[in-house]
Amino acid sequence: MRILIAEDDFASRKFMLKFLSKYGECDVTVDGMEAVDAFLMALDADMAYDLVCLDIMMPVLDGYQALKAIRDIEEDRNIPEEERAKIIMTTALNEGANVNKAFDLGCVAYAGKPIDQTKFENVLRKLGMIS
Amino acid sequence: MADDMITEGMLDMFIFETEQGLENLENICLESKDVGEFDDDHVNGIFRIMHTIKGASAVMMYQNITTLSHKLEDVFYYIRESHPEEIPHAELLDYIFEVSDFIAGELEKIKEGAESDGNADNLIEQLDKYLKKIQGKGGGDAASAQKAAAPEQTSAPAEKPHFYIAPVASDASRFYTIDITYAKDTDMANIKAYIAVNALKGIAEDILFTPADIISNPDSSNVIMEFGFKIALQTVEEADHIMELVSNAGSGIEHVEINECTSEDFIAFCTEVESPISSAGEVLTAPVEQPTVRVETQKPKSIVLTDEEQEKEAEKDAAPAAKKAPVKKKPPAKKGETQSFISVNIKKMDLLMNLIGELVIAQAVVLQNPDLKVPGLDLTNFQKAAMQLSKITSELQDAIMAMRMMPLKNTFQKMNRIVYDTSKKLGKDIELEVIGEDTEVDKNIIEHISDPLMHMIRNSVDHGIESNEDRQAAGKTEKGKIVLEAKNEGGQVWISVADNGKGLRREEILAKAKANGLLGNRSEKDLSDKEVYNFITLPGFSTKKKVTEYSGRGVGMDVVVKSIQDVGGVLDIESEEGLGSTMTMKIPLTLAIIDGIIFSVSGTNFVAETNGVTEFIRGSKDHLVVEPDGEEYFMIREDCYPLIRLNRFYHLENGKDELEDGIVIILNHEDRKIAVFVDELVGEQEIVVKPMPGYIKQVRGISGCTQLGDGSISLILDSGGLLSY
Repeated sequence: MRILIAEDDFASRKFMLKFLSKYGECDVTVDGMEAVDAFLMALDADMAYDLVCLDIMMPVLDGYQALKAIRDIEEDRNIPEEERAKIIMTTALNEGANVNKAFDLGCVAYAGKPIDQTKFENVLRKLGMIS
Repeated sequence: MADDMITEGMLDMFIFETEQGLENLENICLESKDVGEFDDDHVNGIFRIMHTIKGASAVMMYQNITTLSHKLEDVFYYIRESHPEEIPHAELLDYIFEVSDFIAGELEKIKEGAESDGNADNLIEQLDKYLKKIQGKGGGDAASAQKAAAPEQTSAPAEKPHFYIAPVASDASRFYTIDITYAKDTDMANIKAYIAVNALKGIAEDILFTPADIISNPDSSNVIMEFGFKIALQTVEEADHIMELVSNAGSGIEHVEINECTSEDFIAFCTEVESPISSAGEVLTAPVEQPTVRVETQKPKSIVLTDEEQEKEAEKDAAPAAKKAPVKKKPPAKKGETQSFISVNIKKMDLLMNLIGELVIAQAVVLQNPDLKVPGLDLTNFQKAAMQLSKITSELQDAIMAMRMMPLKNTFQKMNRIVYDTSKKLGKDIELEVIGEDTEVDKNIIEHISDPLMHMIRNSVDHGIESNEDRQAAGKTEKGKIVLEAKNEGGQVWISVADNGKGLRREEILAKAKANGLLGNRSEKDLSDKEVYNFITLPGFSTKKKVTEYSGRGVGMDVVVKSIQDVGGVLDIESEEGLGSTMTMKIPLTLAIIDGIIFSVSGTNFVAETNGVTEFIRGSKDHLVVEPDGEEYFMIREDCYPLIRLNRFYHLENGKDELEDGIVIILNHEDRKIAVFVDELVGEQEIVVKPMPGYIKQVRGISGCTQLGDGSISLILDSGGLLSY
């Protein structure tokens, strides 16, 4: 499994990297723009990411914008629904409005920080990404 | 619901919605209890509720709740689709209640930040069996049974799965903006700023600052010197702690300002901060918007406002209402159920309440201003305007009161369930009649009475009403019955629980009281029935021989009385042996603004609640009875009341000593009266009750204070407190 992590905070980034490395090859970006770039590059190289974890509060391009951009790219390239990347937002903004906004934009899960690892793994399991 | 309406955390929302669902579920069940079956509306209702709970809990990843509600949904799906002929109703009700209890229990855990770890397998298995059973009876409609067993497969793909991973439980985080100004001659302010940021990183869940390029760009130092250094911080810590961290991080700090803000402000700050920085060198200079200070963002308690009144209004003047578009748009409220609501943070309501209180005081200060007392001043127009002002403020008071008022309906409905559960366990056949559930009381009071009420109901079911056999033996033909009634009674709300059970036994209580040494030196005959009954409200008092699961430990009635007293109420017990007893909570409708009589004692003003004043008497020596030990009593019309001279009681000098010079006020509290000797009466006024400031230790006989029209402070006399000395 190929994983993309976008996270501007060093500590969180390190944590996510350590946590997710056991499930696959992780790439790390520090802002939303870089994440979209990385996503595009991977698509072009035919090595699309299976899982994308986006922080919401990031410089340059925030998580919502990155999420939308990624979904737009996938739409544009006519990538079928089941092949699209699973996107999980990782953020400390837990208000219902934020969560619903993210769901509307097309993320599959929304993880509040500090991240509950067990539940996170449960979600991955439910999504059929890990066994 | 509009997206932008949701400001509460995801978890709060889930809990709130699920609780509401469960409440509706129970109501439906209890409604159908007597009918003995669910009608189509009920079935659909329950199905919908379980479906919603299932969906929401799946998003929130509470597996146990999801599976359980899914199972119950299955059962109702089958009932809805196949209409099986015979459904063992009581059994089904039990299952529903068990499910509801389980989910409620899990919600409780979640609320406390614990893991929702309850195991529902057992219950699911039972539900499974039950489903098989009714399927068997349903005539083996294989196709629909199949469908019922797997409704999910058909509906699932339509909904995209979403998951919400709740953060590891911790205190709700708060958002702050921090402004740091450095002293004029500070070198390398950027490095100093960075040290501050670093110090905060330890506690930060998220942190942003401007200028952002403090390390890479030495010029940022100048920007900091000119505009200050701004940080947005998300953390669970208190402002004090942040202040401490910042202050200790580096020298040269001249001024630090920490403001708590909302998450919206925080995000606004982030976007403001982040965007301009990419354009190299140019640094954001726009001052950060002054954030609204919101103290304690943690789990705001909300109270619900009805706009029922508004709708009434709209109905009243139907023709003009056509113009009032926003009102008209609302669906007409079905009687007693759907009302449209807005949730308001209770803190805001309290603030408004306080402000209106201040307004009432300020109004008194203006209208009774000493400057107006110049002789010969023509105040005609002033008085007219003053009257208008008084009218508006008093309407404003009524309006805020009405807003805080909530019907007792929900509280009373919970009692249904308690009677159902308890009577079932005890094998008694008991009916609950509810009267006046639309009576409205202050939200604050509702919170305080629901526990005592529950206790009183349990007491009635357990102690009050006899077992079926005993009832027959006593020749009682009618069913055991508890009447729960609420009504408004002169500024108070009375909530009574009446049963037609065996009543209180005076002799039994007296015997017990004697054994506990509660009688003191009074003889049994001296005690009125009420006094005897009041013994049961003392701690550790229970005449019940056997302790049951529900009551009988003797902790209870004293707790009930305590909670009622907390909201300024009293408990009144009436009983007739063999016929039943009635317990009535008498609670003041509102606590904040009262009518008071003002009087003075050697220059100090006191206020007594008008309701608590029985009469004023100009006394004389003839009325005075002095006991050998110096205690004084005031005798009038053959009644004798203990006399308290306020000047001596509070050690006020220069008070009047002769009864002829001052005035005696008879105050009542519950059934007891007391005579208070004061210098003179000042007047009557609406007063806003303020608690005594914390730095004054509890003064006996004083329950609070208030400000009078001339700006002076007056102490509120608490007759109950005076009586207990």
